[in-house]
Amino acid sequence: MKLQSLVNFENLNKIYQADHGKFHALKNINLKINKGELIAVVGASGSGKSTLMNILGFLDRPTSGKYIFLENEVSKLKDEKLSEIRNKKIGFVFQSFFLLPRLSALQNVMLPIQYRDKISKNAKQQALSMLQKVGINHLASNKPKQLSGGQQQRVAIARSLINDPEVILADEPTGALDSKTSSDVMDLFLKLNKEEKRTIIIVTHDKEVSRLCNRIITLEDGAIVEN
Amino acid sequence: MQLISYIKEGLNNLFALKLRSILALTGILVGTASVVAMVSCGELATNEALKQFKTLGTDLLAVSLSDAREDKNSFASEKKLSLNDAVDIGKINNIIEVAPYTQLYQPMIFNGHELNGGVMGVTESFANIVHVDIDKGRFISTFDKYAMYCVVGFNVANKIKSFSGLNALGQQIQVGKNIFTIVGTTKKWPENSFVYANIDNAIMVPILTTMALSKYTSINNIILRLSPDAKIKIVQDNINNYISERLASKQTFFRSAEELVARMAKQSQIFTVFLGLIGSISLIVGGIGVMNIMLVSVVERRREIGIRIAVGAKKTDIKKLFLIEAIMLSLLGGALGVFLGVLISLIMSKIWHWEFTFFLLPPLVGFTVSVAIGVFFGFYPVYNASQMNPIDALKSD
Repeated sequence: MKLQSLVNFENLNKIYQADHGKFHALKNINLKINKGELIAVVGASGSGKSTLMNILGFLDRPTSGKYIFLENEVSKLKDEKLSEIRNKKIGFVFQSFFLLPRLSALQNVMLPIQYRDKISKNAKQQALSMLQKVGINHLASNKPKQLSGGQQQRVAIARSLINDPEVILADEPTGALDSKTSSDVMDLFLKLNKEEKRTIIIVTHDKEVSRLCNRIITLEDGAIVEN
Repeated sequence: MQLISYIKEGLNNLFALKLRSILALTGILVGTASVVAMVSCGELATNEALKQFKTLGTDLLAVSLSDAREDKNSFASEKKLSLNDAVDIGKINNIIEVAPYTQLYQPMIFNGHELNGGVMGVTESFANIVHVDIDKGRFISTFDKYAMYCVVGFNVANKIKSFSGLNALGQQIQVGKNIFTIVGTTKKWPENSFVYANIDNAIMVPILTTMALSKYTSINNIILRLSPDAKIKIVQDNINNYISERLASKQTFFRSAEELVARMAKQSQIFTVFLGLIGSISLIVGGIGVMNIMLVSVVERRREIGIRIAVGAKKTDIKKLFLIEAIMLSLLGGALGVFLGVLISLIMSKIWHWEFTFFLLPPLVGFTVSVAIGVFFGFYPVYNASQMNPIDALKSD
């Protein structure tokens, strides 16, 4: 099978304007990511992992350089269009889950559907089957508060999957979990990568996590030192 | 995202933040209620003030005579308008009915009890023109001339009844040194601003009698009924000519119903606008309340905003989410406020014994303005929310 390019960074730079001068967060990043990869992004804190992740997910824009996502040149797109692509093609998983506390697990999973152009009639069914995929469909009506950390992260993963995205961006997904639930969550990611051929990019500093990925990108002071 | 789901979500959020929503709601509610109540009460008061003209008609013209110059000999007889001259004003074009009257201040005594009130000298036409309705007996007649008959006002009749236990009709009252026989009693008189006296507290006697009783009595007031197509200005000029031909030293002063109505309406319009302005201040305070609550809400829900952006919400989605909350707050506050405002004006009308009428305009304006205020003051926080950087929003605790 021919490898399809998903992400292409060309000479990408990110410079923050801080109080005490400029901060060069990413330096001349060149990076190609193909569909179906399982990638770990590692590096010390402050090395630029999170910035890289934010730019990947259009939450932030690069200062210079080219970012091509599925044949779209991101810097040329408007916020509206980026929101649409983010909604359809990118699923986020965060360290502290980021579920809306007032909504039930099921409603949280359905949240991305609300921002689609067309809302399918069986949204609820879809959300339930996603919860089933991550193994917690019996907790659908629970509020996040009533769920354990591992269960909350499963809800977040189900939410990231609901719009059938091209890529899942996971920012320290196991950072707030104990080792047992960490490995459960990682098993889930591995399964999604293997069985559904989903592209998954995980930012982590956990060796146990990066060890399981097929490709490791190491950042140091905003530059890729190992790929 | 569809409107219905925005509304559902907005309601959920407002319910989740109960106390805060109630506070914001109360601000708008009180503001709207005060605008609606104040403007409605202003309108009711206007209506009440103008009500007298409905019974009286707007075709009345009152003429008052006064001395042009301070003249020490002003009681010289040739300086008085005679009854005949007064009645002949009716010959001027467009004047249908003439009612001259005089006022006399002499102590009135019944059975040793003092009756406080004035004595009015009237003609037969007076009853018809200023709507004095007879309860028992009859009114003063042209044939009474100099007779010592009187018709007593509603309150005077009641007093006499309470002093003697007898019906006033047929009793006798001492006025100054003379004894008058009561030939009629009147019903309660709807006050109006054409007669400078309260007829309920007065007794009415033939006008010639008052002129004979005291040489100081003169006809200084005449009430006229004009034909409907009369041009008031022309009639006034004609009356001026008529008077100056006879009494050069007299000055005339006119009050027409039309002019009075216009002046009253204008006055109460200013009054109503003023009340509305006072009400608006509280409405603005309510709006600032909404703004405050929404600002806090946006800051507190920064993370939620970040999450929504991360799952694909556009700026407009975020705007709609908060704007709908602001609109729902002010809609609900406005609706309850209108209800409360109308209720207050109803209660006020009961307290003041005003006739209650439902005015559509104040509630409509109050409601619209309250919603506009909510949206206006909600907009800044909403804009803030939509401009939030998702990374910062997600980082916040």
